[in-house]
Amino acid sequence: MSLAKSPWIIHVNCNSCNGCDIEVVACLTPLYDAERFGLLNIGTPKQADIMVVTGSVNYKSVNVLKNIYNQIPDPKVVLAVGACASTGGIFHDCYNVIGGVDQIIPVDAYVPGCCPKPEAIIDGVVAALSILENKKKGNIRGKEVKLKGKEVASNA
Amino acid sequence: MNVNDVLTAVLVLIGAPIIGCLAAGIDRKLTARLQGRVGPPLLQPYYDVKKLLSKDNMIVNESQNLYVVVYVAFMILSLLMLVFKADILMIIFVYTISSIALIVGGMSTGSPYARIGSSREIMAILSYEPVLILYALAIYLVTGTFKLSAVLDASTPLLMYTPLIFIAMLFVLNIKLKKSPFDYSTSHHAHQELVKGMLTEYSGPGLAGIEIGHFYEYVFLTGLIFVFWTVNPLIGVLISIAAFLLVIVIDNITARVYWQWMLKLSWTLLLAISIVNIAFLYITKPTLV
Amino acid sequence: MMENTVMLLITVPILFSLLFLVLGKSLYKILAWAFFIFGTVFSVLLVMDGTGRFEITGSNFAMIENVVLILEVLVILFIFFVSAKYKNWPTLGLAVIVAAISAYSYMNVAAIESASFNIDQFSQVMVLIVNIVGTAIILFATGYMDEYEEHRHLNRQKTFYFTMSFFIAAMNGLVMVDTLGWLYLFWELTTLCSFVLISYNMDEEGINNGFRALALNLVGGISFAIAIILLSTKFNISTLSGIGTEAASATVVALPAALLCIAGFAKSAQMPFHSWLLGAMVAPTPVSALLHSSTMVNAGVYIIVKLVPAFAGTSLGTAIAVYGSFTFVMCSALALSQRNAKRVLAYSTIANLGLIIASAGIGTPLAVAAAIMLILFHAISKALLFLCTGEIEHTIGSRDIEDMSGLIKKAPLLTILAALGMVSMLLPPFGVLLTKWVSMQAASQNPIVIVFLILGSALTTVYYAKWLGTIMSSTMDKNVVTHKKPETYFPLSFLGSAIVVTSILVFAIYDYFIRPQVETLLNAAPVISGQAGQFASEIGAFAYAAIFVVLALALLIYVATKNMFTPRKSSYYMCGENNLEMDRLMFRNGLCSYDKSNVSNIYLENTFGESKLTTIGYAISIILIVIALAGGVL
Ligand code: SF4
Repeated sequence: MSLAKSPWIIHVNCNSCNGCDIEVVACLTPLYDAERFGLLNIGTPKQADIMVVTGSVNYKSVNVLKNIYNQIPDPKVVLAVGACASTGGIFHDCYNVIGGVDQIIPVDAYVPGCCPKPEAIIDGVVAALSILENKKKGNIRGKEVKLKGKEVASNA
Repeated sequence: MNVNDVLTAVLVLIGAPIIGCLAAGIDRKLTARLQGRVGPPLLQPYYDVKKLLSKDNMIVNESQNLYVVVYVAFMILSLLMLVFKADILMIIFVYTISSIALIVGGMSTGSPYARIGSSREIMAILSYEPVLILYALAIYLVTGTFKLSAVLDASTPLLMYTPLIFIAMLFVLNIKLKKSPFDYSTSHHAHQELVKGMLTEYSGPGLAGIEIGHFYEYVFLTGLIFVFWTVNPLIGVLISIAAFLLVIVIDNITARVYWQWMLKLSWTLLLAISIVNIAFLYITKPTLV
Repeated sequence: MMENTVMLLITVPILFSLLFLVLGKSLYKILAWAFFIFGTVFSVLLVMDGTGRFEITGSNFAMIENVVLILEVLVILFIFFVSAKYKNWPTLGLAVIVAAISAYSYMNVAAIESASFNIDQFSQVMVLIVNIVGTAIILFATGYMDEYEEHRHLNRQKTFYFTMSFFIAAMNGLVMVDTLGWLYLFWELTTLCSFVLISYNMDEEGINNGFRALALNLVGGISFAIAIILLSTKFNISTLSGIGTEAASATVVALPAALLCIAGFAKSAQMPFHSWLLGAMVAPTPVSALLHSSTMVNAGVYIIVKLVPAFAGTSLGTAIAVYGSFTFVMCSALALSQRNAKRVLAYSTIANLGLIIASAGIGTPLAVAAAIMLILFHAISKALLFLCTGEIEHTIGSRDIEDMSGLIKKAPLLTILAALGMVSMLLPPFGVLLTKWVSMQAASQNPIVIVFLILGSALTTVYYAKWLGTIMSSTMDKNVVTHKKPETYFPLSFLGSAIVVTSILVFAIYDYFIRPQVETLLNAAPVISGQAGQFASEIGAFAYAAIFVVLALALLIYVATKNMFTPRKSSYYMCGENNLEMDRLMFRNGLCSYDKSNVSNIYLENTFGESKLTTIGYAISIILIVIALAGGVL
């Protein structure tokens, strides 16, 4: 139970239109007050449990995503928020877009919507929490994602 | 060392983090209420620490957690010395060890954010250290000894002679608890520009250690305030609690300032009022009985 | 027995200096080791001989007195010669004054019939410092100078070792002799040696700074000489210890005492004279280490502490205390704004000497004990820090503090030793802080002094913490530089362990050396007990043992729990834009090229910079000296 009572999230904006980001931040406002579940928006991946990703992945942001994923200590879960993060959304066939977050790193829960309501996001976090607990119990570790240095950088 | 002392020490070792944890919980709850939110449960800091302990230990280098151990160890030692009424000047020096350990710990990670936070925290030392030592000096001037036992045995409260230093100490409390407006070295609220400042690279158990250290620190700092009124411990405790609540309220109604601003404040106003108070003590030569 | 040891301590270093002059470079290492062993053994022997005084009379005296006279003439001639050669007219002018005063005293002052040496506990402490720390520094130099000269295309090692060894001889004489006339000779000899050592590089900067040191110390020397004349003509005193005894019998010797103190201020580079010490930083590091930790500057505070009976409790004493504490706070503030590690150390040295002088000025038994202890602990810590800075400079090629970040990865042992030196300067349980604690407690009676000490000590914490954090910060780049020479690393580790050992044995040291010395000086000893690992005075207790225990516990806990929580290494957080290919300090910027992240410390140059504070410092310190002198006359 210890993990579920204090989920700390890190919010990564890959290629979002900022719609989802606003909604994520809205969760923390007095109206929704996600902190009543102990949820904190923490600045550094080193201290986070849940990675909240908004926006689709493009060539410029792919390394950032992988890097931050690698820097989160286990156990950890990834929550893809919004249509873009889940599948690529309306940007899916842009020249620079790779696709949804799950193309790059393993995603544990999806929150659909463009943009999803704060209630939905909180619901997603709660779902992610039970996955987090399971991961702790089963001692399931996230794999270190290989980063492609030069290649990706020069593609951008 | 008799049995009583050992029991007291054990009590402090176990009791202080519990009180500190509750204080941190009250802090978060009150902050939430002031913002019109429900807020986390009172035991939230405890849940946080428990969670952090169950996480992996993500490190940047081997030595970074050594500083955490040193920080907590000397935090405990300074608290114990306070409880055992040791030399107040010495207590402040021991307390400095723990502050420096945390700063060097932040620097040791090499992360740019941590280094910014640490540099700012060093500036914080520059602002509060003189006031702290003047506080010790005031205790010497009214009791004739640096040993805290004299204050605790006296039948007049220290506050009677040191009202200005008390005010300065409230600022020190604010700076040391890293609360707004002085939360520029590490802060939950500054992550857009500072990430987590000094503590950016600490994760899991290391961070849990720091949190536990903070619990001790809460008790230690309010203990310093308690010294102002030891005649009636109840009043002393009430003053300490009031001071703590005041800091939380200030935290919520002010915005973060530049560290330069704090330095100016402390080297002009705080030092001035402390020195005026000290000068007053030199001239009137009161003795606490 | 004691006489022999004393004579050997003066003559053998001279012998060593001659050997350095005669023998070739290849033998320097062996010589330095031999010198180190000699210094250690004989200084310990002197301590075992106990305290006491002896006189030299008769034909021996006449012979040595003649040598002294000749040497004095030679010193003046040498100063004439160099200042004329380099056309340094102010120095020449000062030399003329010195010559005039010497001639005057030769003609008008009654000649002495005997000379005496006085070995008290303070002399023993000083001899230990000079001969152990000093020779360790020379040993370090044998591993350092080759590389140093290579960089600068110099070949002056013969002069270097000759002067260094000679310096130690002069210093040994200075701290053991009691006759003022001879003391003056040793005093001027150290001035001369420092001139040679500071201008070692023989470039314009070096020579200018050498002359600055020479001139300022000549001012001190003149003040010293006048004091000697006053003492012998007016009070019929010809020994250093005589001043104290005379003062005890209520004769007012304040003016000569004040003059001697001014000589001490110049030697210890206190505020209006401090520029020579800063200038001396152009010299090779071993020179800085020798001059500014264990020998030269200690001569000044040595005289002042010895004079304590003459001014303890008087207004002169208070003036000296205020002056010393002012230098302490001013130089600590100046150190805050410095990026150059050697300048930081220089200011820190001046500041700590100010603290010693302040403690001496307060003049209570507790304060005087603090002063003597601080001389000891400061010498060890500062020697270590200077040598470490030198070695760091050879390792990374810079003495800028900002360049030292990541040092722990490049030279771990060196970094840990340097860190130990810094920690010993700013944190308990180490000696320097203990003495700072003692002097604060002693100063708490004097409002101005204590406020200065408090501000200065906060500033000290800040500038050392900054530097400490920088060298301990491990950046991600990997290049490990390792070239360890035993000649350089042995003195460093030796000094490092000396810091720890002396800090643990602090009460024993106090009990054996300091308490009896304070008793001789002031006829009263501070009430200090050493029970339960505490250094307890009447008004407080410094629990050093508890801190050592907790420190050891913390280390144990750390080692035990190190692998408990599945540690996993990762690079540090750079918003995910870490550079993956090359230098891990870099991050990818908006244009997909790489930038280096660069965080520097805060130096507050606009508040504490040299341009802001130096003038104020000069003005106030000169005013304070004038007040001290006026207090001496009235
Ligand atoms: S899902 Fe919609 S709101 Fe969210 S980032 Fe994509 S386009 Fe914007």
